[in-house]
Amino acid sequence: MTPAQWKEKLFLVRDSFFSSLAGIQTGGLEALELLYFGRKGDLSLLLRDLKDFPLEERKALGALGNEVKGAMAAKLAEKKGGPGAGKADIKTPFSDLTMAGYPFPKGSLHPLTVTINRLTEAFIKLGFSMADASLIEEDYYNFEALNFPPDHPAREMQDTFYLDLKDPSGKDLLLRTHTSTVEIHTLKDRRPPLRVFHPGRVFRCEAVDASHSFAFHQIEGFYVDKNVSMADLRWTVDAFIKDLFGSSVAVRFMPSYFPFVEPGAEVEMSCVFCKGHSGKCPVCKGSGWIEVLGAGILHPNVMRATGYEPRQWGGFAFGAGIERFAMLLFGISDMRVFYENDLRILKQL
Amino acid sequence: MKILYSWLSDFIAAPLAPEELQAKLGRIGLKTESISKTGAAFEGVTVGRILKIEKHPNADKLSLCDVDSGSGVTRVVCGAKNIAEGQKILFARVGAKLAGGELKKAKIRGVESEGMICSAPELGLPGDGSASLNNSFAGPRPFEAPVKNAGAKEDGSGILVLPENSPVGADAKTLFEKPDLLLEIEMLPNLAYCLSHYAVARELCAFYNLPLKKPVMPELTPPPASGPKGPDKVGQAGGGVKTPAPAPVTIEEPGLCARYSGIVIKNIPPVPTPPQMAARLAAMGSKAKGNLLIDVSNYVMYELGQPVHCFDLNKLSGPEVKVRRAKPGETLKTIDGKTLKLDEDMLVIADREKPAALAGVMGGADSAVSDATTAILIESAWFEPSAVRRASKKAGIKSESSYRFERGVDPELQLCAALRVAQLILAEVPGASLEQISDVNPVKYVPAAVEADPARINAILGTEIPEQDIFACLKAISPSIKDEKPWTFYPPSYRRDIESAWDLAEEVARYSGYDVIPVRSSMKMMSASVTPAFEAAGELRARLSALGFSEVYNYDFISLKELQNCLLNEAAAISLKNPLSSDFQFLRPSLVTGLLKALDYNINRGRNSAAIFETGTVYSKSGAQGKEEICCSGLMFGSFPAELFWKGGADSADLYHLKGVMDYAFSGKSGFRFEKPKSAPAYFQPGAVLEMKLGAGTAGFLGLLNSTAVVNSGLKDVKIYYFEILLSALARSRKADFWQRVSQVKPVSAYPAIWRDLSVVLEDKYEWAELEREVVKTQDLARVELIDVYKGKNIDGNLRSVTIRFTFSSMEKTLTDSEINGHMAAILEKLSKKFSAKLRS
Repeated sequence: MTPAQWKEKLFLVRDSFFSSLAGIQTGGLEALELLYFGRKGDLSLLLRDLKDFPLEERKALGALGNEVKGAMAAKLAEKKGGPGAGKADIKTPFSDLTMAGYPFPKGSLHPLTVTINRLTEAFIKLGFSMADASLIEEDYYNFEALNFPPDHPAREMQDTFYLDLKDPSGKDLLLRTHTSTVEIHTLKDRRPPLRVFHPGRVFRCEAVDASHSFAFHQIEGFYVDKNVSMADLRWTVDAFIKDLFGSSVAVRFMPSYFPFVEPGAEVEMSCVFCKGHSGKCPVCKGSGWIEVLGAGILHPNVMRATGYEPRQWGGFAFGAGIERFAMLLFGISDMRVFYENDLRILKQL
Repeated sequence: MKILYSWLSDFIAAPLAPEELQAKLGRIGLKTESISKTGAAFEGVTVGRILKIEKHPNADKLSLCDVDSGSGVTRVVCGAKNIAEGQKILFARVGAKLAGGELKKAKIRGVESEGMICSAPELGLPGDGSASLNNSFAGPRPFEAPVKNAGAKEDGSGILVLPENSPVGADAKTLFEKPDLLLEIEMLPNLAYCLSHYAVARELCAFYNLPLKKPVMPELTPPPASGPKGPDKVGQAGGGVKTPAPAPVTIEEPGLCARYSGIVIKNIPPVPTPPQMAARLAAMGSKAKGNLLIDVSNYVMYELGQPVHCFDLNKLSGPEVKVRRAKPGETLKTIDGKTLKLDEDMLVIADREKPAALAGVMGGADSAVSDATTAILIESAWFEPSAVRRASKKAGIKSESSYRFERGVDPELQLCAALRVAQLILAEVPGASLEQISDVNPVKYVPAAVEADPARINAILGTEIPEQDIFACLKAISPSIKDEKPWTFYPPSYRRDIESAWDLAEEVARYSGYDVIPVRSSMKMMSASVTPAFEAAGELRARLSALGFSEVYNYDFISLKELQNCLLNEAAAISLKNPLSSDFQFLRPSLVTGLLKALDYNINRGRNSAAIFETGTVYSKSGAQGKEEICCSGLMFGSFPAELFWKGGADSADLYHLKGVMDYAFSGKSGFRFEKPKSAPAYFQPGAVLEMKLGAGTAGFLGLLNSTAVVNSGLKDVKIYYFEILLSALARSRKADFWQRVSQVKPVSAYPAIWRDLSVVLEDKYEWAELEREVVKTQDLARVELIDVYKGKNIDGNLRSVTIRFTFSSMEKTLTDSEINGHMAAILEKLSKKFSAKLRS
């Protein structure tokens, strides 16, 4: 036997001892001790073999042998709970610190819930109160009072699901196509000043693909009082977006159109994902700007429909698609992911 | 909407660079969605001729072609099958700049290729390239479309074969339209005033003070006494251009057709569409028909925004056309081959016999212009927008024409557009004669007066824009405005959308740039709150996810099969009138269908355990009304915890897990308890379901899912434990104020608590809840827990052994052994008396 072979044998004995030790309860300890440390034990026999080596090698191998023997004895004592416990290896009283912790059940909130909660928090900070609203809606609240006259092409922006139920005026009930219905209900039910928001599900009759879904979520806030201006709207939207994406983000308004506001604006924020440096940013497509919200001053026709004189009372509204925010936040590029419910994805949250 | 850069630039005296154009359009609300190149954007390609074709020595599918490129003969390797000796082709020399980059010398299967015979895609041309060809040096219609699909290059497309008369050696660029840019602009429904090249140019010029180039129109005026004319006028026109007779038009419904300009042109020979017009239409994605009489109306619509229709005059049954409501039973075969059933809600253009066009939507096939047409009636009208929209929806036809009419066409554009059509036709066929012209305009456009108060505009915007700047904006849009206070703004005919100070405020903001609006608040402070339902849902979600449940979101729509699978009542389910498919026909009456679907999805992806939940709306019919209820439901399947780990296995999930989860979910809710239900949803297994109560009301159910429902839903016959909570019950019982919601803590004893275990054997029929109820009132008893249940060896079949731990504690003293012994004896006596329980030996 060469010294290298002896060493190898020694480590083998040690490793098999440790794994046997870890596997047994207190009952088998004596047997194990006899198997390794007994007169004819594996370790004892191996140490006895040392005598066949030349003196120099015997010294070095002997020292190694004793070290291993000490470690094994200490582990054994530790398991026995005897006085030698932990003395040789004070670093850990556990067999293997790298083993996994016990798996406490880990649940998760859906990314859209996380997003809705965060957006809700942002609205609350700005003094907006949440209102409830139903999903089944009358044409009047979903369209007409919001300045979508019958047979107006603006209705084409929102393909609608109709139900096998009728409203009091005999029109088909529908599933709301936007959260703006909450404006009409609130304005009719309560008196200004009003600062209200509402998150919820909306429906559009369009086929599902990576960027479309027949069911999705919006969040919408509005403020009604005397002397409300676009400047108030800009301040609010600016604070809202900065709360979500940090104070260094730039926010700009561009002209746009929603039937229930005038003037209307589309709100864009500077791309926080590429900071405008990369021409190939997949989020902003290299433009440096990301569309995040629609906004505007409540249309005088909306004020009149809800019983307010538009020269006296005014307001603003702004709203956003929640999936859009969630996609930005969680790096999800396909809207279908939200409704597939793959636990391999959901459990990452 | 598509805008061709060169076409737009025709109307701007100082054209803008593309980037600047895009920025300027965006700033006034015309957002560019995409920009693409059209036309020939290549270099180093000439017309060549294939002199000789040989087989490639080393490849079956390749050929060697000798190409005369005008400056010598070059050998080229080619993979296309539609090559032939003598063909005129496009030859790219080495170094040419093509769509895919610079062409390099290449050795293909051992043979050097010194250039390439090009296909349309290789040159960056759309389709087979024929549409982009400008046949400027060819005679009328000389050009046959290239042989399509006759052979394939390696990328599947054939080479582009040129007309025989193409001159060898000519720069290929001269054969094609000049490179151009196609902008796709998002046209929101309010932008009726931007639905043509000219209109977009007009908008740009107004807002950026650029010089607008107006199209030059022929100086033709309709006869002064225009209006509906009697039939006697027909055929009286002398054919002279200077004093044409009125075209025979009668408007019966001036409310729906405010204006109808008609021009009759006769003696028209077959005439091809001029190349530039064809190329522009092709770039717009509107494939030119090759017949000028057909293409010119599209061209003018894209140019000016006025939909125009040309009838074949000889196919109309004279003597006049009428704009009238359709009669019941009338039909119309449209140009696209549909036969429409018409009704009185639909406006038609009719000849003496029958409708010839659905007004503003589409023309009829019977009166359509064809290659045989020699005389036409040009129609350029103003139809009432909502009437066109209704007709278009009813007919199921959306056209470029209905698109514009629905949004509102400029009511002063009709005659001008008709003249433009005539002008373009007469320019191509000087022999044709303009015979009749008419402009029937029963309802004249009268601009509404809009009060323009600069203070009001500034108040809406929250700005302090100087009056003269506001005036400059108003004047840019409506040059007729007078600087006399109070300002009155008369919108131009194409800006009928401007009705109020709010509309003017938007114009001022667009004119100044939206950045003019300051970021400044003058708003009141207000306190904020969320709704009880949102809070209750949030608390449930937090608790369920803390116990290992993952939240899912399902669609609200389910199929009839899913309803039936889960034994749900389809009569009470609300259905959609216009579902996307039968998979999504009903509004879900329960979350169970979606949760089972989500479970199945995950099982199919390798999971063998899952704990999921969803908070969502469920729907049902309540009489004639729809009822919505928010539920929080979930299920457990497999083992718990879900993962195996080194210390040992996991438990199989069972009902008591879920009961524990619900205990946790409802902890702190006073009045919460489980009861055996009188009735429960059908998807629960009878006898394995419990009702959850909050006070007197139902808060939900939990139990084992009915195996029929599970198997129906496509899952194996597995045990799935399911719960559903009605959020309204939680929200209702939720106290509004935080201080009321939290319960005050109870004091604990300063003296030690002492526990005793008691094992008794009793009959199975006695339930734990009965036992507990019997002993719970014992004096000094602080806690009573069931800690073991045993059936089996030494216990008779109808009996079970239960071990109960009693913990005693007093607020006043340390309890003595004898006191506790007394309590335990009393307990045992109660249990023996009531349940014949016997102490287990």
